[in-house]
Amino acid sequence: MTSATTEFFNALSKREHEPMLEKTTGTVRFDLTDGKRTERWLVSVNRGDIAVSHKNAAADCIVRAPRKVFDRIATGEVNAMAAILRGAIALEGESVMAVLFQRLFPPPPRTANP
Amino acid sequence: MSGNGLVQILDGNTFVVSDASGDIEASLTDPTGLFSFDTRFLSRWVLTIDSQKLTALSTDDLHYFETRFFLVPGTGTVYVDSQLSVIRQRAVGDGFHEAITILNHKDEPVELKVRIDAASDFADLFEVKDALEKKGKYSAKVEDGQLLLSYNRDTFTRSTRISSSVPARIDKKGLTYDVSIKPHGEWKTELDIATSLLVWGSRKRTKYAAKNRRGKSGMEANLERWIADAPRVECDWEPLKATYRRSLVDLAALRFSPPIAGGRSLPAAGLPWFMTMFGRDSIFTSLQALPFTPELAATTLQALGDWQGTRLDDFRDEDPGRILHEMRYGELPAFEERPHSPYYGTADATPLYVVLLDEYERWTGDTKLVRDLEQEARAALNWIDEYADLLGNGYIAYKRRNEETGLENQCWKDSWDSISYRDGRIPGFPRATCELQGYAYDAKRRGARLARTFWKDDTFADQLERQAADLKRRFNRDFWVEDGGYFALALDPDGNQVDSLTSNIGHLLWSGIVDKSKAKSIAQHLLGPRLFSGWGVRTLAEGEGRYNPIGYHVGTVWPFDNSFVAWGLRQYGFKEEAARVAAGILDAAEFFEGRLPEAFGGYERSVTRYPVQYPTACSPQAWSTGTPLLLLRTLLGLEPVGDHLIIDPALPRGIGHLELLDIPGRWGRVDAFGRGRVDMPRGTGGLRQQLGVEEPTGKHRRQRV
Repeated sequence: MTSATTEFFNALSKREHEPMLEKTTGTVRFDLTDGKRTERWLVSVNRGDIAVSHKNAAADCIVRAPRKVFDRIATGEVNAMAAILRGAIALEGESVMAVLFQRLFPPPPRTANP
Repeated sequence: MSGNGLVQILDGNTFVVSDASGDIEASLTDPTGLFSFDTRFLSRWVLTIDSQKLTALSTDDLHYFETRFFLVPGTGTVYVDSQLSVIRQRAVGDGFHEAITILNHKDEPVELKVRIDAASDFADLFEVKDALEKKGKYSAKVEDGQLLLSYNRDTFTRSTRISSSVPARIDKKGLTYDVSIKPHGEWKTELDIATSLLVWGSRKRTKYAAKNRRGKSGMEANLERWIADAPRVECDWEPLKATYRRSLVDLAALRFSPPIAGGRSLPAAGLPWFMTMFGRDSIFTSLQALPFTPELAATTLQALGDWQGTRLDDFRDEDPGRILHEMRYGELPAFEERPHSPYYGTADATPLYVVLLDEYERWTGDTKLVRDLEQEARAALNWIDEYADLLGNGYIAYKRRNEETGLENQCWKDSWDSISYRDGRIPGFPRATCELQGYAYDAKRRGARLARTFWKDDTFADQLERQAADLKRRFNRDFWVEDGGYFALALDPDGNQVDSLTSNIGHLLWSGIVDKSKAKSIAQHLLGPRLFSGWGVRTLAEGEGRYNPIGYHVGTVWPFDNSFVAWGLRQYGFKEEAARVAAGILDAAEFFEGRLPEAFGGYERSVTRYPVQYPTACSPQAWSTGTPLLLLRTLLGLEPVGDHLIIDPALPRGIGHLELLDIPGRWGRVDAFGRGRVDMPRGTGGLRQQLGVEEPTGKHRRQRV
């Protein structure tokens, strides 16, 4: 069974281009911890063009979070900014990258159309 | 800096509120303490000598970020001929620093026990306002010769670290010094209070701290540079010069650097409780300050753009393209017990965002930013049609989706009873207030110019222009109150007019949505006896059901409101009327020593003779601070046209000669000159000297720089 996190990054990888990140160029690495294991996702953005890999490379911004928390962000159940404020996610490097990246997370499931 | 005798100093969103002797003894609901990022980091900070508290002889406000207290031991009301003096000097800037100096005036040595009690309740600003209980755990420990106070709730951590330059005996409740001072000698220690929040990550935090590591001289230099960079005012009327200087210094204090803005600043909404990014307040203040400090607008546009809404989120009232209302960093937003991470419930910030972007380019010629923010501006314009038309009638309307903690009124008049019919009834939701339609019209017209000139999209520009023309036509039909000769405050959920007469009609002139044929009637109402108090235009006209001269949005005069009303009057060629509004507000400013309050009473000027201040939590308020700036622009008739600045002054005669020198813009720097020629009708407002009316001058409160 694939996790919400894997689905999120796979979908992102398939999109190849993301209009909401058209002004962004840089790399964000997600270090997602699950016990002793760390799952890594490296997303490089080049003016909206997106490439996703598992490389453990240096990045402009590093997002560290428990895998469980990120699974819920990937489904929209948890708001990324609130999670940052309460320390459930730690940011390193250029935090503006993370602010722009959070645009891609889905809305909370309960939202109805206005 | 505050009305109730509390002393405040600040830098960005870090500030200290204490009593006159520098002590902090806060209860949960008491607004004293050291605050940073919307969290209280010290709720107790009390200095004693031999177990005695101290009495203030005087307090010296050195700068907005620095204060000095002169104290003597003892708390009696009768002055004790003390043989000791104590000086506490404190500054805020990347933490909180306090130097304590004790002077011995005796011919013999003294032995003293000096004690600082310290504690923190780590309250969220919202908890201080609403008296809520904490859910996490506190701890205090002595570590590496420092006192570490912490609060933990799950992964949420906030801590305060207190260290001393002179070694102290440290326990979990404070620091004790055994002090010996020689005859006529002195003793000194420096305390450093560092606050930490594990938010932006360790590396980022260090970098952030290092970048902002400003000693006090650095902050002084920064303030001096800020004032030197702004245009200079020369004027025959001295109070205007003082008001201008006060505005510049207060605007400096109101600068706030959001953690993601790379050290650049935007105007926060008010000091100290609203030292954060607000969509509406930051935009309005940036607009007011454009001819003086255009860099504030650039940061506002950039930061609000970074946080622009992208999804539908009911809790945060977020929509794609919507500009945020308010951002907070405390415990309650962190646990989603409040929606401010950020909260998007405002109906005006989104169209005003486009208005600011266009106005910014017209002044600065910074085409790069206009191109960079094309996507954001398009998304904002799309929001107006796609997400804001809640009634399906082609007008922006608002109704909160977060019924518990969202905002009911999402326009600038945001109190519960601000929107009412003539008979005082209050309409249901959604509400389409009139000024929102004006902002939307202006946003579309300005958006069209940006699309044509910079985004090279004529089709989109044509579409926006057609929409704007259609909106104007419909608006002048649907909102026009026939038997009153003015525009209704709003349309209710049934599309009926909410028919009271309000200051909002002045914003409509500013936006340009008013048919030429109707403008005269609007101007007459604005300067007429029901709306104009002599000091300014009331929020709600005398005679309306809910009118109350000291009602928050139902009768008081708001300086910020008036600055846009005056700008609107100028836009339609009512120069003298604009000058009268400006003169009334600038006159009032003198009573407040140049610092205009958020609002003052709507009483008739000829009755009270002085503007009655409305009690308010925040002073200075950003858009009140920006008001004299916009009024100066309006009086001098400054208007960028192409690469030139048009100057067309219409000044009240009492101002005499006015010069605004070194106005920055796409033209480099230019000077504007004007001479007072507009006569003020007797008894309806205007500058005091000119009227020859003997009025009491304002009580001279001491204010800091």
